[in-house]
Order: sequence, then structure tokens, then C-alpha cells
Amino acid sequence: MISEKSFLKRLGSQLFFTGPTILLFAIAVLVPFVYGLYLTFTNMSSPLSPLEFAGLSNYRTAFADSRFWDSLILTVKFVVATVILINILGFVLAYLVTSGVKLQNFFRTSLFTPNLIGGLVLGYIWQFIFVQTLPSIGEKLGIEWLRLGWLGDEHLAFWAIVIVSIWQSAGYMMIIFVAGLVNVPKDVMEAATIDGANGWHKLRKVTLPLMVPSFVVTVFLTLKNAFMVYDINYSLTGGGPYDSTTMVSMQVVKKAFIENNYGVGQAEAFILFAIVALITGLQVYFSKKMEVAA
Amino acid sequence: MKKTIGLFLASMMVISLTACGSSKNEGSNTAANGKVSIIITNGKGEIASQWEQAAKDFMAANPDITVEAVSGAVGETINLVDKLTASGKTVTMAMMSPDSITNKYKDFGIDLSAEKWNEETVYGVKDANGVIAGFPFSIEGFGLVYNKKVVEKAVGGDFDPFSINTRDKLKELLDKIQVSGVKYPVAYQTENWSVANHYSTQFINQAEDPNTIVDQLKAGTLDLASNDVWNGYYDTLDLLVSAQYNKYGERPLGKYYDDAHVSVGKGESALLFNGNWAYDSLQAVSGEEFGFLPVPVDNNPDNPLNNKIAAGPTNVLVINNAATVEQQEAAKKFLDWLVYDQKGQDFLVNQAQIISAFKNNSNKVTNPLGAAIAEAVQADKTLPFSSNFVKVEDWGSILAPDIQKYIAQKESRAELAKVIEAYYKGQN
Amino acid sequence: MNARKKASLLLSYLLLTVFFILFVFPFFLMIVNSFKTNGQILENPFSLPASLSFGHFSQVIEQMNFFVSFRNTVVITFVSVLFIGIFSAMTAYYMVRRADKFNNGLFALMVASMIIPFQSIMIPLIYIYGAKLHWIDAAPIPLLIVLYIGFGSALSVFMYHGFVKSIPYELEEASLLDGCTRPQTFFRIVLPMLSPTSVTIAILNVLWIWNDYLLPSLVLTEDRYFTMPIKMKVFNGTYMNDWELLIPALLLTILPILIAYLFGQRFIIRGVSQGAIK
Repeated sequence: MISEKSFLKRLGSQLFFTGPTILLFAIAVLVPFVYGLYLTFTNMSSPLSPLEFAGLSNYRTAFADSRFWDSLILTVKFVVATVILINILGFVLAYLVTSGVKLQNFFRTSLFTPNLIGGLVLGYIWQFIFVQTLPSIGEKLGIEWLRLGWLGDEHLAFWAIVIVSIWQSAGYMMIIFVAGLVNVPKDVMEAATIDGANGWHKLRKVTLPLMVPSFVVTVFLTLKNAFMVYDINYSLTGGGPYDSTTMVSMQVVKKAFIENNYGVGQAEAFILFAIVALITGLQVYFSKKMEVAA
Repeated sequence: MKKTIGLFLASMMVISLTACGSSKNEGSNTAANGKVSIIITNGKGEIASQWEQAAKDFMAANPDITVEAVSGAVGETINLVDKLTASGKTVTMAMMSPDSITNKYKDFGIDLSAEKWNEETVYGVKDANGVIAGFPFSIEGFGLVYNKKVVEKAVGGDFDPFSINTRDKLKELLDKIQVSGVKYPVAYQTENWSVANHYSTQFINQAEDPNTIVDQLKAGTLDLASNDVWNGYYDTLDLLVSAQYNKYGERPLGKYYDDAHVSVGKGESALLFNGNWAYDSLQAVSGEEFGFLPVPVDNNPDNPLNNKIAAGPTNVLVINNAATVEQQEAAKKFLDWLVYDQKGQDFLVNQAQIISAFKNNSNKVTNPLGAAIAEAVQADKTLPFSSNFVKVEDWGSILAPDIQKYIAQKESRAELAKVIEAYYKGQN
Repeated sequence: MNARKKASLLLSYLLLTVFFILFVFPFFLMIVNSFKTNGQILENPFSLPASLSFGHFSQVIEQMNFFVSFRNTVVITFVSVLFIGIFSAMTAYYMVRRADKFNNGLFALMVASMIIPFQSIMIPLIYIYGAKLHWIDAAPIPLLIVLYIGFGSALSVFMYHGFVKSIPYELEEASLLDGCTRPQTFFRIVLPMLSPTSVTIAILNVLWIWNDYLLPSLVLTEDRYFTMPIKMKVFNGTYMNDWELLIPALLLTILPILIAYLFGQRFIIRGVSQGAIK
């Protein structure tokens, strides 16, 4: 819609509006990224060792690394579980909070509070709950399967990570949904009410379509956060028991920095990037289409 | 528009203000006006403030040397030395684990075998070429930590930890403890570094020089499945983690570190496998007394493995060969200060509660588990700290999951033997 | 109000209260345990403290060098968040209003960049700005701010992008006809209309930067520049955490932001409702 006549003028406003962002974005992200890509073609056992060109050998090793693929499959399961549950819960919370209850702000503030704590610490706090609290509740109520804590069983440990992720992110997504919900024009809602639409109907026919931009953002965020989960994974289960809950980011860090196989770890990180880029790219593409249609 | 420009300017000012403090960089690593600046790193986060104080005390005694004492936080993704080096600084002297000298940082250090302090210790750590490159900063040991009160009540009187020198005697002790009213005598925590790096490396002490076992593994000539010592340690482990004795027996894996120490600390359990650092967690609960039992490997009371505790240097200081000669000399002075200066000795043992590797340091740690290790060292009742002879990162990351699977009975001992053998064959 | 509506409102309250308890519970745990010793914490994290002594707090304030690390965190967070907001709004606005190939491509690139695993660029980052350009030595805090703006711009542009679309172009046309330049129009007309979004984005960015550990741990190497999350790591031991100090440290770290958040509520609501009026 902007249509400056002269090229110079157009360049001027392009630079004014996007220049600073492009510059800083390049410094922080693009330059290191490209250099990191270059590093995947070199042999590097630590960040200090001299660079030798290694061709595609790091990628070959990465593709043959069964632990990498195991962790990726586990991460996909985690993504499916958290994306669905976080978005549902986030939307429900936003809906409840804006449904006309008094104390709206009180609830909104308190439901958001989990985000005030960083992921690492959060993991340690929840360890208390899964290792100390649940067993002591189990003991008191005589529930035998609760006696030993959740983190020693691979399935329970996995769900423990899911639960903590939901608990951490639902409030964040709620805030984004609330911003969308208050933007739903009142006159449209009133018109629907006059037309005799009930609550469920209004939600489905009026609110949800108008919420598509919010869902584009929240689904993207939950998708990306879930694929890249690290902090909670590290501090809650540490990948255990016996490596059964090592998600892909943790696997990459292990490979690069703990097993001192920097080139392969870096290559695995780029494979991960390619996969996530593809998935989120499709998500954004299709949902932006929906946005236009809505 | 004017408003925005004003805002921009105001913010720029904030930036330039914060920049002021940092613009006067003192040209860190170079020797300016006769003064030498060195960077020394500490990997034990818990002694960060003592480490800084030590640097200050050392500078007071050596006004021509400026020491920047940096401490790493535990669990950092990139270790401190790599981080500082990658950001363009030269670490003059770094604290690292002894196995790093022969593995990851095999080209890092300088020869320290001519240093005078070697007269006072046998714990200097050799690099791949067999010369001493690591200054032994701390001695630590591990074994079966026991709560004295609980055990003494079970045996009815005085208890000599070295009397438990066979597996059967250990079992007998566990039974006695159970009879005395303790339902679960053992609280076995299964952190990866504990079950892998510490417990599962003990078998390499079957040779006088543990390196010979490692070499046999690499050559593929050691058959673990038929090796008595290797099997013996897992027989003992089976006993310790069994549902009969272990608090967590029904689900032996889990984040039990805190809980295990609370249990033994309060006397609800009697034993756990850990090192002298366990005292930090045990003492949180009460003023009970604790000691070490050797980990028995078989039923032969004369087997030295059954009568000794694993102890050795766990942190060494290494001087960077990329530092200037002046810096290296300054770092050597710091090492001498740690060994010979009264303040240095005091810092190491009294302030940082570290067991000194040096005979001339007469200070004693107050921590009873540390004292037990120090006594064992003096009585010559120690075995090498076996994890110093393996790549600890690999054991903790690659092999630990399989060992944990074995503990959870999801993998047989024969399979575990194959995994370890395969790992070593891949190391050539 | 009819009975059905009342019932559903009651249900809302009930559900919200349940969630409230679940969500706030860990804070309760932290506050309770910040007055206890290691032994008391490990023995029973749910027991109430025997006495309200602030001894651990004063110890933490000293060991964290609290006032210095607090100031550093405030400056870094405030400046970064401010510029992320302004620059990203400008960029998103221009991208929507001139959706040519270059801008669409740039937008796609920025969105894609959000899924770069941070671990894969941290070595290049310290290598380039440390070993090669020596910015880490020369000006660590400005560098950190620059990096935050760079990293934060992608998500913020992405979020603004959707909302700029909802602003009718007619308003800008009127302003342009009045003789305002395009930047003037942006700052006078568009930016104020984006304020609900701006508030949301600012909150999210503040939380991220305030609590961030990894990036400052790479860029800041000297004690006098350290932020609170970095100083907090002092209380993590090799084998165990020093809970009796870690928990008060944690509380002190999140307290300022909690207070800011509670105070900001009024402004946030105003921003949000302004957005609703249009």
C-alpha cells in the first residue's frame, strides 16, 4: 500500500523502518548462524581445537546416531502432547478470565506467575513435588504406586515433563488469548446475542474465527518451545531414567559439549533446525491462509 | 517526531553510560609496568568465595602479580576454560578433572615435574607422556557411607568399618541392621556419575596400575563377562539395590539424591554409596556421625580391594602452555603459596574444607567423612580413585544409561559387558 | 441474570480457583522454604518455618552483590525491551504496508530464525564477538543489549505483524493527506493503536531477559557486570544445591519483577481496553 514514487525515497523509508532491526538481527542471529553452519563441515572436538575441513562426515555420523533419532521421536511425542494441551488450557483460562468474573485481574495475574520463574529453577522446584510430595501423599493415603516418585519410571517421567511444561506455558498463552479476546468487537457479540445465539454457538461461530491470529501465534510458540525444550528437561529428569527422557536439544548439547563431539553436535542441531523449520513453516503458511480467509 | 528523537537520545545515553564503566579495560593479559596479570579458574562452584579470597591474600603477599580468580557455575553448558578461551582470553591456570589431562586437554598443560612441591606429595597427575602436569588440588574418596549410630546400635557396641571385608559380612551387617528395626538399611541413589564414574569403574583397580586394565579393554583382550572382579562389584551392587534392603528397591532409579542423604542422615537408613562430599547433604539434617566402609567385591577377607577405600586427586590445577613465561612463573608461585604459605594451607583445608594432598599441610578438615579419607590416606588404606583412569564425560553420558538399565533390570549383565567392551573398542 | 448464567459464572469461579491454587502453589513453597535451613527444607518442604528470620536473605544479598547485579539486570532489561518494541513495531508495520518480495522474504527469514537452537550458535557467537572482534572485553553490556534486540526482534516482529494488519489503512491516509510524513504517521497514529500488543510484547520480553541465564553467562565474564540469574548460580554446588540460600536468592530475583508486574497491571488494562475501543 505504500507507494513512494522515487526509488531514493523508498529506500529511505525502507532503511528507516527496517534498517535497525536488520542490522541487529544480522549481528545476533545471521552471522553466527552462517558461521555455525560452516563449522558443521569441519572437525572440531572442542571450541578450541584448530579447524580441519571434514566434508559431510559430521552429517553422516549424525544421521547414523540412533540416540539422536530416538530423542527426536520422543520430542515429537512431547510436541504433540504439549501443543494440544497448552493451547486448550490457555484458551480455556483466557475464556474464563474474560467471562465476566470479578477479580479478573487477580486471576490473570496469578495464573501468569509461573512465567516469572526461569525454566531451570522451575525444574528443581517440581523435582520436590514429584520426588518428595507425591510419595508422601501416596504414603498417607496408602496409594502404593505413588510411594516411589515419578522420575524413576520412563513413562511417568515423560508425563512429568509434559505437566511442568503445561503449567509453565498455559498462563503465557492465556495472556496472548486475552489480548485477542478483548479485541473481539462488542457489537458483533451483541448482534449474535440478539440473534439468539447461545454461549457455545457464539464461541464457535464468532469468537473462534476471530481468534485465528492469536492461535497462529500461540501454536507457533508452543510448537517451537516444545521442539526446543531444554531447561525443564535438564533440571527435572536430566534425561533419565537411563536416557529415556532425553529430548533432542539435550541430546545435541550432550553430543557437542559433554561428549566433546562438537562438529557432530552442531550438525545434529542443524538437522533439528531443518526439521522444525519445515514443520513450523507449514503451520504458519496454512494458518496465515486461514487468517486471510477468516 | 521530536518526542521519538528525544526518546532515542535518552536511551542512547543510557547505553553510553553503561559503556563507560567497561571502556577502561586494563589490557588484561599483558604485563604492564612490570606487573603480571593472570587468570585462574576454579571448577568447584561451592568454594567460589574462598577462591576469590585466596587470590586476594596471594596478591597481598605478591604485589607484582594481579590475579583474576574466576569460578564456574555447576552445570554450565560450556565449561569455563573453553568459554574464556573462545572469547579471546588466555586462562593461565585451570582447574580440571585428572582425566582431562590425558584426554580433552592433553595439549594444554606445561611440565610441572621439576616443581619443589612434588617432594611433599605422591598425587601429582601425569599427562599422556608420563610427566607430571597436574597439581593435586584436592583429594577425595568414595565408598559406603554409613551412619555410625545406626550401625553401632545394630552390632551392639563399637564398630570397626574395616571389619566388613567380605560381601557376606556386609550382608550379615545389613541383616543385623534390619533386625535392629531399620526397615531399609540401604538408600541407594543412582545419579549417573555415581553409578557409572564411581561405582562401575572400581573393577579397574584389580591391577596395580589401573591403566593396564584400560589398555586391555581398548585392545579387546579383556572379557568382562568372565572377569571375577568386574562381576563381583555387580554382585555387591545387586545386594545393595535389592528390594530386600534398598529403600527404593521396587523402583531403584529416580532422583533420590536428596532423599537418600536425608534418610541416612536421620538414621532411617544406614548406608549409601557416595564420596566424602556427601557430608554436605548429610549434615543438613542432624549432628550424627558418619564413616566409610570399603565396597567388598568377593568373600576373600585378604583381597586388598575389600580392605581399602578409593581415594585420590579429583581436581588438579594445570598451567596453560599458551600463557607467557611470566604468567606461568606467576602461576607457579601461586601453587607454591598453596603448598608452603601458612595462609595458602589455611585456605585449602580450613576455609575450603579440602583434603590436602601435601604431607607438610598439618591442618585437618573438620568434616568427618573428609577426616576418614585423610586417615585412610595416612594408614595407606587407599586404592586409586578409579574414575581418574576413564573419560568421565563418556562414562556419565554414554555408559551410565546402560548401567542404570542394568540396575532397573532392563538389561542383563552380559549385555552390559558387551556395551562397555564395544565402547572401548571404539576408542582406538 | 438468569439461573443458567449464574451457574456458568459459578463454574468459572470454581475452575479459576482450582487453577489458581495449582499455579500459585510453587510460590507458596518458595516463600515458606526461604525461611528454613537446608535440613528443614529437605526433611519436609511443606512444613512451616519455625521462625521468621531474615538471616539467609541478608547473606544472599551480600553474596549476590545484590545491588550491583540488580542495577545491571534493570539496565539491560529496560534498554533491550524498549528498543525491541520500537524497532520491531517499525519493521512489522513497514512489512505489512509494503509487502514486496524483499519484505516478505525478510519476514520469513525472521520467523525461521526463531527455531534456531540456541546451542548451535553460542560457540560462533563468543568466537566472533570475543576472540575475533573483542567486543566481549570492550563493551560487554552494550553487546549484550545489541544481542538481545537482535534475538528478540524476530518474535516481536512476528507478533506485531498480525496486529498491524487489523489497523485500517484509512486512518493513515488521512494523516498523510494532512501533510505528515510516513514516520510521523507511524509514531502518531499507528504506534499508539498498537499499544495493547506493545504491552503484551514488552511483558513477555521483560520476563525472558530478566530471567535469562545462558546468553549473559556467555557474554559477561567479569563480576561487576553480572546479572542476578548469573549470581544466583553461586548457590548450586557440584553435588547438591544449597537450598537455604538458593531459594531466598530466587525470591529476591523474581520479587522486583513481580512488583513491577503488579503495578503495571493498571497500565496494562488501560492499554488493552484502549485497543478494544477502536
